[in-house]
Amino acid sequence: MRSLTPFPLGANERQSRVDWLLLGALGFLMVVGALFVYSATMVSENTAQPAWYNQPWFRQILWYGLGSLAMLGIAAMDYRLLARWSLVGYVIIIVMLIAVLIPQIGTERFNARRWIDLKFLQFQPSEFAKIAFILAMGNFLSRPGDELKSIRIFWRVLGMIVLPFLLIMKEPDLGSALILLPVGLTMMFAAGVPPRFINTLIGVSSLLVGLILVDVLFAPPSWQIKLELYQKRRLLVYFGLDGAPRNATPAEKAEARRTQHNYSYNVEQALISVGSGGLLGKGWRQGTQNALGYLPRAVAHNDFIFSVIAEEKGFMGSVIVVTLYSVVLFCGIRIAGQARDRLGKLLAVGVVAMFFSHVFINIGMNIRIMPVTGVPLPLLSYGGSSVLCSLIAAGILQSVYIHRRS
Amino acid sequence: MIVFDQLKKNDPHLRTITWGVLAGLAILFIGLWWVQVVSHRRYAENQKAQSFRSVRIPAVRGKILDRKGAALAENRPSYNVILYLDELREQFRAEYASARKPRMIAVALPFWKRWLGFSPVKAEYTRLNATQRLALERSCRFRVASNAVHQVEAILQQPIGFSFDDFMRHYTNQLPLPMPVIQNLDSNQIARLLEGRANPPGLDLEIQPMREYTGGSLAAHVLGYLMRDNSSMEGEVADFSFRMPDFRGRTGIEGAFDTELRGKAGEKVVLVNSLGYRQTETVWSPAEPGRNVTLTMDAGIQAATDAALQSAMPNTRGAAVVLDPNTGDILAMASAPSFDPHAFLKGFTHAEWDRMTDEHMKPLLNRVTQGTFAPGSIFKIVTSLSALEHGLDPLEKIYNPKWIHVAGRAKPIKDLADAGDYDFKRAFIHSSNTYFISNGIRHGGIEGLVNLGRRLHLGERTGLLPRQEAGGNFPFSALTRRGWVDSDTAHICIGQGEVAVTPLQIAILVAAVANGGKIMWPRLVDRIESGDPNSGEPPTIFPHRPPRDELGVSAHTLQVIRSAMLADVEEDVGSGKLARTPGFHVCGKTGTAEVTDTHGQMIDRTTWFASYAPFENPRYVIVLMVEGGAFGGTTCAPAVGKIYKAIQQMEQKARPSVAQAQ
Repeated sequence: MRSLTPFPLGANERQSRVDWLLLGALGFLMVVGALFVYSATMVSENTAQPAWYNQPWFRQILWYGLGSLAMLGIAAMDYRLLARWSLVGYVIIIVMLIAVLIPQIGTERFNARRWIDLKFLQFQPSEFAKIAFILAMGNFLSRPGDELKSIRIFWRVLGMIVLPFLLIMKEPDLGSALILLPVGLTMMFAAGVPPRFINTLIGVSSLLVGLILVDVLFAPPSWQIKLELYQKRRLLVYFGLDGAPRNATPAEKAEARRTQHNYSYNVEQALISVGSGGLLGKGWRQGTQNALGYLPRAVAHNDFIFSVIAEEKGFMGSVIVVTLYSVVLFCGIRIAGQARDRLGKLLAVGVVAMFFSHVFINIGMNIRIMPVTGVPLPLLSYGGSSVLCSLIAAGILQSVYIHRRS
Repeated sequence: MIVFDQLKKNDPHLRTITWGVLAGLAILFIGLWWVQVVSHRRYAENQKAQSFRSVRIPAVRGKILDRKGAALAENRPSYNVILYLDELREQFRAEYASARKPRMIAVALPFWKRWLGFSPVKAEYTRLNATQRLALERSCRFRVASNAVHQVEAILQQPIGFSFDDFMRHYTNQLPLPMPVIQNLDSNQIARLLEGRANPPGLDLEIQPMREYTGGSLAAHVLGYLMRDNSSMEGEVADFSFRMPDFRGRTGIEGAFDTELRGKAGEKVVLVNSLGYRQTETVWSPAEPGRNVTLTMDAGIQAATDAALQSAMPNTRGAAVVLDPNTGDILAMASAPSFDPHAFLKGFTHAEWDRMTDEHMKPLLNRVTQGTFAPGSIFKIVTSLSALEHGLDPLEKIYNPKWIHVAGRAKPIKDLADAGDYDFKRAFIHSSNTYFISNGIRHGGIEGLVNLGRRLHLGERTGLLPRQEAGGNFPFSALTRRGWVDSDTAHICIGQGEVAVTPLQIAILVAAVANGGKIMWPRLVDRIESGDPNSGEPPTIFPHRPPRDELGVSAHTLQVIRSAMLADVEEDVGSGKLARTPGFHVCGKTGTAEVTDTHGQMIDRTTWFASYAPFENPRYVIVLMVEGGAFGGTTCAPAVGKIYKAIQQMEQKARPSVAQAQ
């Protein structure tokens, strides 16, 4: 193994070149993101708009700029250096995840405590937790393969997953917490953790999720796990249940159905947006669902940005977006394949798993194959933390690529 | 391809991951294809359904004109002030913001923050729960709207009733439509509003056609009335989200020709946002105005007829019809008491409605076609036709002892004519019961009467106005009925008993006498045509129909009756002399029928005067009937005389202009 140098300028010309295809796809996604954040927020309302530099599309571009700088910075760094400090990062992020739960530090919005307010900017530690988690997991799992067969190591890995998972669940941010599971599992799988462990883990966790679902949806109230009301409703919406107890009066049942209807409103409207887009869409800034407020303004430019794109650009637009993500994902897998060491491969796999989970869950909830969880669409959804994390993750990929096998 | 590079690579873990990613992406592609391409139509329709509202725009109703083109029913523009709530949204928001003003509280700041320029004042908003917020929003909206209404009040200088409930009703039910503020502005108010100096935003002036009956209650039974009905007609789009006020004809011409008069409603589509406010609107199909109906009636004669009928007695309950004996064209048709058709547009109070449905006055009944009455002595015209045809010699005299005893009847029938010898003419003008009963039975009998009744189509409708006509009654079964005796025939001979007629049927009968025996179809509608002369649409003409039947009597018989009718008016002893019109030879017959209750006691009288004029060249038939009058000659004949005098004047006025035109 070569000695680590922070700035590996010694690598040859061809070797040091970044993955242009990946970069191109990311750039394209950022352009799309800026355009549709603009379209989603600059609707034809004669309300007083904030100054242009305070508008979401401009802020999004600012974040793209900042994120791109971070990406280049990370890409220039040797990922092994990052991995060496990963445990520190992991501890810091755990501290922050605990801190965000303390009312004096965390800011509450929409009944969730997810943001740390630093006056000049607010950020979501749960987003950065994903990066720290990937780095720490990669670092931990890159140990010799024999060690991974030991049950003690397995328990420690499990502990690394469960600790941030529980903390993020506590905020609550079900989406971000759930992302950790596929990312962790995929990294374990790629690292060569014996399949029996993984299978048992998958089995146990699916059983657990299944039991939780059955419990939440069907068990009598005194037996149910305490889930946040809105989380429970989202699950009820996904499974098309109204959540009324079996012995409810007709009035109660009607009320429950009405509530269910209200809560399924976003999903319904997202589906109408996507479906009414048709093959070619209605044209940029011509989407009525968003302009007329049927797709609620609060979510149109972040969690449901995809439905804005799908309505305005149709199936062709959706295909282009999904294709761009495919390019990013397959570039990531190729980078994993070309990585010079297991650490690099694991990091790349972790990033790919993270991107894939986000894309699948977010687009899936727009077409109702996934329940609604607040998972942003990487680079397209409005939001600084999300954009920054996506680009840092892409930076890790580039770093692995730049420092690949010759 | 990078995908296949990975798959070929000898790294089973990565290959599995690649397959997994591929599978996931495939699911997304298929899902998107399913939603956006396969199910596109469904979602596009959902989207349309939730964001488009269709509004039914009623067409301008066609006019009803008299034979000279004067409007009997037309449309008058009603200027209404309306308010577009969507243009007030900015104000709603501002009002809400000011209603939720934060409390400014001073906070203690550390010195460095003060030094850095942080403000020591913090805004604190009162916390509201969902219900309170909703209530506040509502009251803010109402305040803004009522401010706008107050501004309108100030401009128009007229108080406008505007309550929170009015506003909420409109807000919840008809948000995308403009809110009506005040209707029927006068020209001053319109001018003030059009100056527009202080008009609140969202204010607009809207012109809505309102039905106007030029003569008020004149000919109300013929014209009919409209009632509020916004529903779609057959063949129209049925599922509108909103309907603008429209009316549908219920009775009379308005009812019978509603389809033509109504035109074709248009459709407007309003795009609404998720809060239900109007965004844009487009007219999809403009409304096509209704067609004009031209009647055979004459507005002048109608007015004269109406006035004459009213003057017959106080609170007249009666009917009058004027028609052309040669064509059957109805020139005027009046029924009293009448009603104001405008009232149906507005709706009634309980007291008004009680008046409309009064069992005694029956103002909604069209007595000309719907009322059936005993004809009394008027029917002696029919008896005369039958007897003369069956060999009665008009010069033969019979003695009238002031009563007549008929076989099969215990009590003799009274005769109001003086005792003495009567030939046909004397009997006719004194209306002698004895003469007509004995000659009616002797010459022709019930067979002759039934035969004529068939030809006259008594007991049948003419189809003039649907659902507004009665057939009356005539004992056609008398010929086959067991137990029909001469005393029954005797009653028929003098228009009592089992005979009931409408004034229109009597007019047709008199017309037949006047025109030489032709039973005409009465005609009320001349043509229906587009109000726009350039439309190129062919008018629907209702031509004169060939006679419905023939009396089948000789010219001599008719001549005898005509002379008797002329004498009835022209001779000083005639019962109808009060109808006399100098220069206009009126021929007539009076009648006074007794209305009896079930015990045979007389409770009311139906008085008649049936006439035509002029004798030489009959152009008008006038039949006038009054319930509860004194005698036909005193109650009805003078009223008919007034109508003839009015017609005479109108003809004289028209003649010089005709001469000039030639």
